[in-house]
Amino acid sequence: MDRRNFIKKGAIASGGIILAPHILKSASAAAASGSEINVALIGMGVQGRVLLDSMLNIPGLRFRAVCDIWEYSRRYGVRKLAKAGYEVNGYENIEDLLEKEKDLDAAIIATPDFWHARHTNACLQAGLHVYCEKMMARTIEEARSMVQTSRQTGKLLQIGHQRRSNPRYIHTLENLIRKARIPGRLTNANAQWNRSVTPDIGWPRKYEIPAETLKRYGYADMHQFRNWRWFRDLSGGPISDLGAHQIDIFNWFFDAPPTTLFASGGADYYPNREWYDNVMVIYEYESPEGTARAFYQTLTTTSAGGGYFEYFMGDEGSIKISENPRITKIYREERAAEWDKWSDLNYIRRSAAPPKTDETKIDVRETAPLASYDIPIVLDKPLHQPHLENFFNAIHGKAKLTADGEHSFKSEAAIFPVNAAVASKKLHVFKPEDFAV
Amino acid sequence: MKRAAFVLTLATTLPFANADEELKPLVVEYPPPFLMGTPVPINLPNLEDASAKAPDILVPADISNLARDKPVTSSDDFPIIGELEYATDGDKESDDGYFVELASGQQWIQIDLEKEAEIYAVAVWRYHAQKRAYQDVVIKVSNDPEFKDGVTTIFNNDHDDSSGFGKGAQKAFIETNQGRLVPAHQAKARYVRLYSNGNTSNEMNHYIEVEVYGR
Repeated sequence: MDRRNFIKKGAIASGGIILAPHILKSASAAAASGSEINVALIGMGVQGRVLLDSMLNIPGLRFRAVCDIWEYSRRYGVRKLAKAGYEVNGYENIEDLLEKEKDLDAAIIATPDFWHARHTNACLQAGLHVYCEKMMARTIEEARSMVQTSRQTGKLLQIGHQRRSNPRYIHTLENLIRKARIPGRLTNANAQWNRSVTPDIGWPRKYEIPAETLKRYGYADMHQFRNWRWFRDLSGGPISDLGAHQIDIFNWFFDAPPTTLFASGGADYYPNREWYDNVMVIYEYESPEGTARAFYQTLTTTSAGGGYFEYFMGDEGSIKISENPRITKIYREERAAEWDKWSDLNYIRRSAAPPKTDETKIDVRETAPLASYDIPIVLDKPLHQPHLENFFNAIHGKAKLTADGEHSFKSEAAIFPVNAAVASKKLHVFKPEDFAV
Repeated sequence: MKRAAFVLTLATTLPFANADEELKPLVVEYPPPFLMGTPVPINLPNLEDASAKAPDILVPADISNLARDKPVTSSDDFPIIGELEYATDGDKESDDGYFVELASGQQWIQIDLEKEAEIYAVAVWRYHAQKRAYQDVVIKVSNDPEFKDGVTTIFNNDHDDSSGFGKGAQKAFIETNQGRLVPAHQAKARYVRLYSNGNTSNEMNHYIEVEVYGR
């Protein structure tokens, strides 16, 4: 079976994997009763480990099992959890895990994108609540199937758009944009995630996965396994890998799906990488306040441009926000009324003025530097921890998911067409049904 | 370049030193730069400026990496992933399979050079696939494997003495493919011990490679 057929036959349509009846079960009463939540970790690569680090800070979890096709990563999870006091079983195959682990309540899925739908659907059907990393899936059909399975099973599905649980982002949207109306009418946005040139990810020969095992799980070879983000059948490339986080913030803050997109990009720099290594896209929004446009770029050949951020611009002010507080800044337009009230309420904090020098004198024809402010809200936890806490609190019935499958699908539906738009060089016009499940 | 007067003075107290030797800057080989994953904000009070340069360390011609393939022990003899010997195996890449991860909290690794040496510099690579800074980094050398007697501290960036070795004057630094080159001022020792106490991305301690330049 070639990889494309292999993926197609992954039973993603309307619900995904058909599990044996003995695997089907309801989530244990433990989660519902507020006691410990039994957790399985599916995928122990770089992102799986980041999530595990955060989860080890969260009380009330009992880790039960780890699944990864790479023995190296599997061993990592088992040993790390042993250090933390949890004796867990390691599995290569998720079906084996779901068959043998009888008391699970939740699964944390951090596998490559082309596995997300099958793993998510399998876990949901086995009665588990699922936290699945973004991008939801390799294709929009697969992503749609995840929402459908969540609906059918009644189990929670949280997608790893962790900014939606970040108190700094929540404060920005709810207090600064909606309540204080700091930017006034939002007219434009731009966002970026640029990274410098990186070599392909390697691996020591002693840790190679046998060729047959790789093939069984959809990889041509070890190089593809380690560099799956660059292969078209396995991932959506940088625009979905990095853009998923930030385009989601466009859709969240504009409170509307985009109406059109125009994109450009190419696989211009790396001779052996299938996906576009640079992508630029312009979205048009019909927000409740009127038309707005947003530009997004992800470049993988330069780290220039000031890091990674989302920048929302209005007629009275602008908010540049990032997971990195040092990149975050708020600017007031000269025409806007003073923001003293919001400073007094600690919504914003006036930035220390830079010392004036001759070099800062400006030509009178230029606009003077804008007054700048900071966001006084601090996230004193790992970036992913609030999002995981939200997921586990939702299992206990104490919170509503901040990035559930339904909303995440609507948001990611704006991202899936970008690569096709790059290829076609044509304007993509969204239809309402694109965002429907 | 000939040894300067400053070093001639040192030679009077360092029986290994040779005043007539020609010295050249120590050249360390770097692995390719490599970054992956989501950046994590770094917030340390004693973080050095990103523009800080590695020191120029002048060494005689017969200096080599004495740590290569030498035995490594650790406060954590059951690493989470990787093996202790990775720290001296010559591989400096930061991918999976090249680093050893030790438990959280203060941990150390120790390299046995198998005989006393005149140490000019220690270079360490911890993990450079993500911008992060390790906390309370302390490097000591000694002829005592227990590090109770005759201990010389050649690096200490524990700004608040949380490790109990005294406050360190050096700055915390962000890991890169260039690792960190630390002058050892021709200390004489058989053992090199490196401490850390987690990092700005997680609580774990990592080592990719340690090189000890001496003779």
